[in-house]
Amino acid sequence: MVALFLTAWGLAVRLSHSDLFPTPGNVVRGIAELIEKGLLLKYIIASLFRVSWGFTLAVVIGVPLGLVLGWYSRAFQAFNPLIQIFRPISPIAWIPVAILWFGVSDAAPIFLIFLASVFPITVSAIAAVQNMQLVYLRAAQNFGLSTGELFRQVIFRACLPQIITGIRIALGVAWLVVVAAEMIAVNSGLGYLIIDARNAGKRYDLVVAGMVMIGLIGLILDLLVRQLEKFDEVRWGYSR
Amino acid sequence: MTMSLRRSLLIIAVGWLALITLLHAAINLHAFHPKSAAIEQKKFRIGFLPVTCHLTCPVTDFINKQLTGDNIFEPVRFNGWPELKEAYLSGYTPATFILAPMAMALREQGVPIKIVYLGHRDGSAVMVHKDSHIYRMEDLRGKRIAVPNRFSNQRLLVFRALKQAGMTIDDIELVEMPPPDMPAALYAKAVDAISSGEPFMGQTELDGYGRVLWLTKDVWPNFISCVLAVHEEMIKTKRDTVQRLVDGIAKSGKWIDKSMAHRMETAQFVSKFYYNQNPRLLTFVLSKPPDRVKYTNLTLRKPDFEEIEQLGRESGILNGSAHFEDYTDASFVTDESAVQPYAWEPNEQRAH
Repeated sequence: MVALFLTAWGLAVRLSHSDLFPTPGNVVRGIAELIEKGLLLKYIIASLFRVSWGFTLAVVIGVPLGLVLGWYSRAFQAFNPLIQIFRPISPIAWIPVAILWFGVSDAAPIFLIFLASVFPITVSAIAAVQNMQLVYLRAAQNFGLSTGELFRQVIFRACLPQIITGIRIALGVAWLVVVAAEMIAVNSGLGYLIIDARNAGKRYDLVVAGMVMIGLIGLILDLLVRQLEKFDEVRWGYSR
Repeated sequence: MTMSLRRSLLIIAVGWLALITLLHAAINLHAFHPKSAAIEQKKFRIGFLPVTCHLTCPVTDFINKQLTGDNIFEPVRFNGWPELKEAYLSGYTPATFILAPMAMALREQGVPIKIVYLGHRDGSAVMVHKDSHIYRMEDLRGKRIAVPNRFSNQRLLVFRALKQAGMTIDDIELVEMPPPDMPAALYAKAVDAISSGEPFMGQTELDGYGRVLWLTKDVWPNFISCVLAVHEEMIKTKRDTVQRLVDGIAKSGKWIDKSMAHRMETAQFVSKFYYNQNPRLLTFVLSKPPDRVKYTNLTLRKPDFEEIEQLGRESGILNGSAHFEDYTDASFVTDESAVQPYAWEPNEQRAH
């Protein structure tokens, strides 16, 4: 499939006599140029750094928050409207706020990535709790668990499969948002590479090279998260 | 979750965060070179965009580094007007190159901004596709023109040219577009004409699909578009630093205009080290024709700005509440003819 796609791409560029759009060959040479200049590793590490921190913060805050909001219906009623209002706002709209609060530093893109990821995670966790099967709750009540134990031993474990799904989606979103997040005058990263290549004149080969790198790393990240699904604690939630 | 799974996940997560943070700090932030990190903090930052309008910024930095080895200024490159403006508003860049009408509009909104020097004169154009049948302003009737920003002087320029041709703004369709995207848009004929600072206009000419409709120097002689502006606070508390900055900018302006050899040298080091563009772009724009853009005669003059104020009011971007004395401070260069260019000649060895 991939080979077919690449051939179709190359043909399309040749047939359209486009002066600007790069062929797969141009892109590969662009990647080689980046490796030569030592930039590729720098940029990948910078982007991974920001996504790691933004995403981790989103998980650490989003999962407990989602569990609590899903369990306590009063809290849910109070906070859900706020969540639904903030969720559709694109991270790009937050850029001015990010610059004013965090200046021109790594904190600003991390904040944007956090914002983009925390909503899918929280919403998945809330939905998981609300859809939990009653039999677990009744069994837990029979055993007379404290609230802390209830959350840790029963609710969290019961919701884990759905939470992992939310985390997969959020990781994809985080990695997707890295281009927008790196528009803020940071001087490294794959998103920055794409935006800077536009300023550099006709370097659309670098633009597509950046896109290719982002796509490949996104694939690897997704594969890694899916390893989590292999654990028994999560696998029980899937039927296949 | 069994203890071992949770533990192993936690170890992996913490381990990964530690690893990527260390790598990032070492490779990108130079955290393990404490001296350079400390120096980074104290630098006086100046924002700019990779356009010829802001050329004196990197030139000043480069020549200063050649002459003295280091300096207290740090040019910061942005990729678009919004980020540049926001960094200035948040105080990250106490000085910045900025569009003159934008600075004036900010002043009207109460931002403590003071224009201290001009960035350049001329250096803009309106380009059309070479296959189009547009040869005069009147041919643009009903067509789409791209400008960088509603506060750009290019937009005011279009306004003025329309007035001169007896047309109004309603006869054309004006769209805002980031300058780096304009060449591609013209190539694809998504717009009929584009106007912004160089080198994006020259790029369309070099690549063979663009044709000059007119250069600004032929329609609005001594056109000004970008200026150097600083926070009013800086003028009050760090006047000598601002003075050094303006002196440097003035000297590099004179240096660039001193000879074509200097211009060609500028094209090389600015493209490679500051703008990340192909040197052929700047080489073309700084030489064909030689007065496409000029860097001398940069003192602030009231009539220039009053003309912008008036056009700004007519086109709806300014409300006229700020005047020359409010948004400029011309005290930094009192006699431009006395400014000497930098005494630096490029030689074979570079101190980079």
